[in-house]
Amino acid sequence: MNLLKKNKAVFIIISIVILSVGIISIYQYISRSPKNTVDIAPEYRGNANEFNYLVTDNLSHWISKIVQITGKVTQVNEDGILLNGTIYCQFEDIHDLQSITENQNIVIKGKLVGFDELLMEIKLNQCIIIQ
Amino acid sequence: MKTTKILIIFCVLLSLQLHAQKYFTRSGITQFEASEKAFEPIEAINTSTTVILDANNGNIVSQVFMAGFQFNNALMQEHFNENYMDSYQYPKATFKGNLDNFSLISFNANNSYDLNGLLTIKGLEKNIQTTVDVKVENDQIFISGSFFVSAKDFNIKIPSIVRDKIANQIQINIDYELIEKK
Repeated sequence: MNLLKKNKAVFIIISIVILSVGIISIYQYISRSPKNTVDIAPEYRGNANEFNYLVTDNLSHWISKIVQITGKVTQVNEDGILLNGTIYCQFEDIHDLQSITENQNIVIKGKLVGFDELLMEIKLNQCIIIQ
Repeated sequence: MKTTKILIIFCVLLSLQLHAQKYFTRSGITQFEASEKAFEPIEAINTSTTVILDANNGNIVSQVFMAGFQFNNALMQEHFNENYMDSYQYPKATFKGNLDNFSLISFNANNSYDLNGLLTIKGLEKNIQTTVDVKVENDQIFISGSFFVSAKDFNIKIPSIVRDKIANQIQINIDYELIEKK
């Protein structure tokens, strides 16, 4: 009888623990914030010109994907850079821009948001410098 | 002879001016808010809106990428792109319209302008009429304002389980700083 009572108490305690762990992890899953560019492995690594062809070929495949692009800086603006004249990279932290000069080669990682038909360029945002 | 010369000079000047009067931005801020009071805030910000304004006649075009909207909550962002906006099928929203009576040359202190135009979201068009604030400072044009759209107009289906938490009228705030396009 005593043993049964003890077992019951243990059982209740264990189920409370399991339940609260479950609730906490569900809550964390629901309320998690979006991942940063740094934490996501790129789906593509390569050259800006080649990437340009790939995006023109199948834009919808690349939307929201993280990519790592090597290219030449053709323009530096107040919040981003233009790579090879066709890919605009908006930076997560505009202080990163201070170290970038025109005509240098650069490797950046960012999220593709779409193809801008008004300016005819591919747009990446949340960019970070890799090299 | 003289008139032809004047005409040519006039034409050249005109074309130069027409050429130099486009203002644009790649990083305009578009925000939306669809929160109902007492529930979790439903809002997102997009800092990569492209806007081009013809400073001669006030024609304005803009486009915003759905994938560029950032939420504080990852799950909300996922649902926004996959369930509500079909971002892979309709990657962007566009606006084509006119700032009525706007002209940079005759810009005056009155900085409220009527903005009319067609907003296209998910391939559906809706006429938008609103008033925006326009400011000109240091060769920059600042446009800001807000208006409401309804999810129904753009065939955005809201499941009944969350219907109480999402406002029917979604507020859209815009804040654009345009610089001259060279």
